[in-house]
Amino acid sequence: TPTPSAASGTPTPPSRRLLGSAFLQEFRNWETPWAMEAMHMVALEIRLLAEKADRELVMSGKNPDKLQAAGSFLMKVFGALAVKGPKRVGALYVTCQLFKIYFRLGTVNLCRSVIRSIETARNFDFEDFPVKDKVTYMYYTGRLEVFNENFLVADQKLTYALMHCNPQSESNLRKILKFLIPVKLSIGVLPRRTLLEKYNLLEYADIVTSLRRGDLRLLKQALDRHEDQLLKCGVYLVLEKLELQVYRRLVKKIHIIQREKEPSKAHQIKLEVLVKTLQWLGITMDVDEVECIMACLIYKNLIKGYFAHKSKVLVLSKQDPFPKLNGKPV
Amino acid sequence: MITVIKKGILSTGKRKAGQIIQPKVKRGKLSTAQVKRGILSNLPPEVAARGEAPQPSMDRRDGAGNRGRSYARGNARGRGWRGRCEDRGRPSTQPPPSTASAAAVIPSDAPPVVGTCPDMCPATERAQRERLRDLAVFERVCSDPMRTSRSLAVKKFCRTISSTGIQASDIRPLPVLRETMDYLWHLLNSSEYPFEIVHDFIFDRTRSVRQDLSIQNLVNDQAIGIYEDVIKFHILSHQRLARSCQDSDASSLCYLNTEQMMKCLLSLFDMYHTIHKINSQSNKEAEYYSFFVLLHMGCKIPKMANSLSFWYSQLPASIVRSKEMIFARTILRCYHLGNFKRFFCMIADEATELQLCLVEPFLNEVRARALMYLNHSGYKLQHHPLTHLSDILMIEELELEDLCRICGLEISRSGDTKAFAPKQTTFSLPTPLSKSSGIYISREIKR
Repeated sequence: TPTPSAASGTPTPPSRRLLGSAFLQEFRNWETPWAMEAMHMVALEIRLLAEKADRELVMSGKNPDKLQAAGSFLMKVFGALAVKGPKRVGALYVTCQLFKIYFRLGTVNLCRSVIRSIETARNFDFEDFPVKDKVTYMYYTGRLEVFNENFLVADQKLTYALMHCNPQSESNLRKILKFLIPVKLSIGVLPRRTLLEKYNLLEYADIVTSLRRGDLRLLKQALDRHEDQLLKCGVYLVLEKLELQVYRRLVKKIHIIQREKEPSKAHQIKLEVLVKTLQWLGITMDVDEVECIMACLIYKNLIKGYFAHKSKVLVLSKQDPFPKLNGKPV
Repeated sequence: MITVIKKGILSTGKRKAGQIIQPKVKRGKLSTAQVKRGILSNLPPEVAARGEAPQPSMDRRDGAGNRGRSYARGNARGRGWRGRCEDRGRPSTQPPPSTASAAAVIPSDAPPVVGTCPDMCPATERAQRERLRDLAVFERVCSDPMRTSRSLAVKKFCRTISSTGIQASDIRPLPVLRETMDYLWHLLNSSEYPFEIVHDFIFDRTRSVRQDLSIQNLVNDQAIGIYEDVIKFHILSHQRLARSCQDSDASSLCYLNTEQMMKCLLSLFDMYHTIHKINSQSNKEAEYYSFFVLLHMGCKIPKMANSLSFWYSQLPASIVRSKEMIFARTILRCYHLGNFKRFFCMIADEATELQLCLVEPFLNEVRARALMYLNHSGYKLQHHPLTHLSDILMIEELELEDLCRICGLEISRSGDTKAFAPKQTTFSLPTPLSKSSGIYISREIKR
């Protein structure tokens, strides 16, 4: 069925939904999923129409409740599909439609019940779902994991989405990367600039540079400049935490410089030196603050060594003072 | 996976002897929200409230963290708000199913109940409670458990209301609610009774005030003012209960208080969002939003449903970039990054009175964590003098000594100075549950 053109004023979602409801009733009764594609079409149309209707409602100052109603309807469709048997394979598509609605409405906690339904299926293998549905599913659930700062799981899911995504679909790849890159950064994996350029994700460019250089000032500037955008995506807090990695890089650079000047004493870094370095970067911090941060870096195993309080010296371990993150989030 | 919120069955705290416990929910009794829907939609409330869609397992009522503005829930977005204190009976947070007929979509211009009760407590309730001897100490005339008066009785919070029983004369209109709030506030500062008793009373009565506001669907400057005052009460209680937390009863009061504060905050945010639409704004908004952020420092609080990341993503930029919010965000960041120096300095320099009250019970936890880092990363032979630490952590030296001991750190003495030597293996972070040791009592912050 061709999508009805909504050229003439507000489309009528209620009647659309009645049609959908009627179709759903029949669909439930059919034993085989022969009408699955049609069901999916109905689901997609309902969502798109509802979005459009809501936009128009908002413009005329009324209450936008159509998308929410669409979500309710799609839940019923989901219920009809997420059953044992051949209909189940179509359930993921509807799940993704629901995700899109919930993300749009901001009611992402409603995702949980459908996720549970999908992931606790006993007689059904996730891999049996169509690829494009799996990619979309992993993208959205990956994003939810980013919100909850479960970086390892987010990495898995978003990487899966990336790997299985259609390589021609640049806009989809970009969407996945937008969230995957901060996750990767937090486990110490840096993207090349060419990647950022290719997918137009240059808001991350300065952040990546600051990680490579240990440039705390640059990190703060980058976060500030893109604050609104990053907050809206929900990745700001993830990137903010990269501060520790930047400190670590800074200390490492100082260590390298000292090693060239005086190898025998390179593993001892005076806290005063750090204070001066930060000052040079335009950041005012006193020795106590630096000590706090060093204590934290050591505790979190970003730096191996210890600090001597009285002498105000950071003493690095002679072996492997800057252990790699090894894929574990800080 | 997204964190689960357990559906909690709350008790309303300790009951004093002689006070009658509310009867258990009977079938047929409905929560305020259901009643409201029932009244407004002219449908039997059971039908209007019943959701056909599968239940989302997230129970947003129980302290769920959410966006700063109203989100689609229950009924149409933005049509008003629902106070959260009385939502317990609601079976579903899905929108009304389409099969419940078109009338289930509640018309937004249906008139809500307008209260007419002139007193802080409706006369019928006064009479009933006198008969049943169900009067709090503050409500008794000359300590007589069977007598109260118009100026002393305050309407109790009622968990469920029978749909047929709701009367305009039982609901207090806005001016009366304001008076009630003022009276309760005045009571808060009367130190005649132990604080726990005062807290319990005001906790319950303010909940009833919120309930009345909610039933009447009042969203305006004064209603917001009342909510802001209720939150102030919760914050002050938060501080005082934590200070006097010597036993497990008080600590459950703390927990319930925080939970209620959270609900109240979330309702308040919905109200802010509603008045934004008519281009009005409370001048305290930013501060109240910042409270939500600051509460994330306490690990005692059940994890909010959606993360802080998500919550920020839904807030308007003007709020997120406000001074109070930046303060809250920064100290939260300092806390996570272990920058204790800046953490305490910022609190000393920039926290408002209420923000200070709110973070106070968390401070010793932060200090204990600081000790943990210093103990782990310090040099064994160079001791950490307590005077220096007490400056940085902004805690009195004797308190710090106590804290060290609670954490299992031995204090060494050399001459006049006390210090602790790092790398002590006996260190252990006190678990949050050991309130009896008084660890979460914070002391003077030197300004």
